[in-house]
Amino acid sequence: MSRAEKLTDQILEKLKNSDVRVKREDILKRMRLLVEEFKVPESEAVKTIMNYLVKEYGVPREELFERESPLVKISEIVKPNQWISLKAKVVQLWDSNSPNVSQVGLIGDETGIIKFVIWAKAGMNEVEEGKSYLFKNVVTDSFQGRMQVNIGRTSKIVEISEEINLPPREMEIIGAIVSFQQNSGLIKRCNICKRVLSKGLCHEHGKVEGYDDLRVKAVLDDGLNSYEIILNEENIKELVGMSLEDAIRIAQENLDRNSVLSELKQRLLGRYFAVKGIRGGRYLLVRDISFHKPESKDFEELLEALV
Amino acid sequence: MIRKREVAKRVFSFEFSRSTHQIQGDGVVKYLLTPLGERLNRVFIVGVLLEKEEIGADTNFWRLRVSDPTGSFYATVGKFQPEALEIIGDLNVPELVAIVGKPRVFEGVSRKLISLRPENIAVVDLAVRDYWVLETARRTLERIEAMEKRENEDAKLAWQIYNPDLNEYIEVVKKALMSVKEDVEVMEKIEEPERAEEEEEFDFTGFEFEEEEFDLSDLLEE
Ligand SMILES: [Zn+2]
Repeated sequence: MSRAEKLTDQILEKLKNSDVRVKREDILKRMRLLVEEFKVPESEAVKTIMNYLVKEYGVPREELFERESPLVKISEIVKPNQWISLKAKVVQLWDSNSPNVSQVGLIGDETGIIKFVIWAKAGMNEVEEGKSYLFKNVVTDSFQGRMQVNIGRTSKIVEISEEINLPPREMEIIGAIVSFQQNSGLIKRCNICKRVLSKGLCHEHGKVEGYDDLRVKAVLDDGLNSYEIILNEENIKELVGMSLEDAIRIAQENLDRNSVLSELKQRLLGRYFAVKGIRGGRYLLVRDISFHKPESKDFEELLEALV
Repeated sequence: MIRKREVAKRVFSFEFSRSTHQIQGDGVVKYLLTPLGERLNRVFIVGVLLEKEEIGADTNFWRLRVSDPTGSFYATVGKFQPEALEIIGDLNVPELVAIVGKPRVFEGVSRKLISLRPENIAVVDLAVRDYWVLETARRTLERIEAMEKRENEDAKLAWQIYNPDLNEYIEVVKKALMSVKEDVEVMEKIEEPERAEEEEEFDFTGFEFEEEEFDLSDLLEE
């Protein structure tokens, strides 16, 4: 679906309960003209078309412009193109690899966790991990078959002080780490925004000195599903006894930051782990992780069932 | 659009090496159908590296043979598997390894050779081998049950193509479980601190296996 089509459907969604009949083709044609041909900023294009709908179709102005998006829980997000509001906690921030994206990661409430994207052109203040916010007027979207919420220029983010708990039901998965993803090992982050630097550059702040951090992005696979997980410094220290200081020392001794990655691969790749965490789409938010090995009674039980 | 990542299935070499039928999935994805009706696009295996051989001098193209308690997996590693190639120099024979990779069918004159293209190889310990055998046994038994019930289209297709002897597979699973269970029991005894002294003589430096347990027939043929 093109952006023009998406924006068109977002407008139509606002008119869902209205008596006014509007032709999709009519809006889409105008949207394409404005967005694709004349490169008008999306929010301007939306505003222009909504004004046109008020004038030409007699749509009540408040239906388009003042429509409050209902406050929902994350588990209720099942359809794309819904305007909603959410109270949620930022549980994990990822690196965005697109200059169009300001921030991306996971937010959660007591019913679940979901991926969020704050578009760069939304011009929002950045959110912080562990803090809770009211995300107002955000739009649901489906990406690679999974739901997410998009935060754009018409959205609002307000920090709130109320405590938001994550889902009480954790799942426990026993799986093997089958792959390491990019930006694992001893990485450098931007001093200003914490984004991971690529070749010494932050794509927001350019050349910065940066500070060291230790983490692993990996794929955990239990033979039935695969999950993307992030292990932070604390997880790594608990599993293999390597602290950030140790990692920096290893890199210095070998004159190579990649030697930290090699060492972590040697000790984690292909191993089984018991992971407790919360699932959101294909992501598993790690609460607790340990090496896993079977007991002889596991074998006995299985053998007995075979007799 | 990026596809959902393919899950790494668990199969014993006994089942893997008998899988010859390929299925075209959606788009460009291909699957290998096993005799027990599993679709493989990626597998995770653990076993003893028994052979590591460079095919031709300085080609940096390697052939591996890895044994689990039911037979052997073959694998080839070349420049298109950079992460696996990175570690290949560090691998010793014999040594326990875990491999994540994609199945590949080589069409020979008289038969097909089913091989693996590793994406990643890691040297692992006994606990990994033990758990792999346990979970692979579980998955295999689940597949056997689905075959018995002719539960899904893939099971029906597997019956048509392979007409497998399910009892033979059950025996293979049983043998694999028994062989590893003993190791696990030994390890548990060693780890009990009060019994550490009397077990002192037991030298547990490597992975113990008996060659007769493995199907070496195709090696002998060559
Ligand atoms: Zn920055």
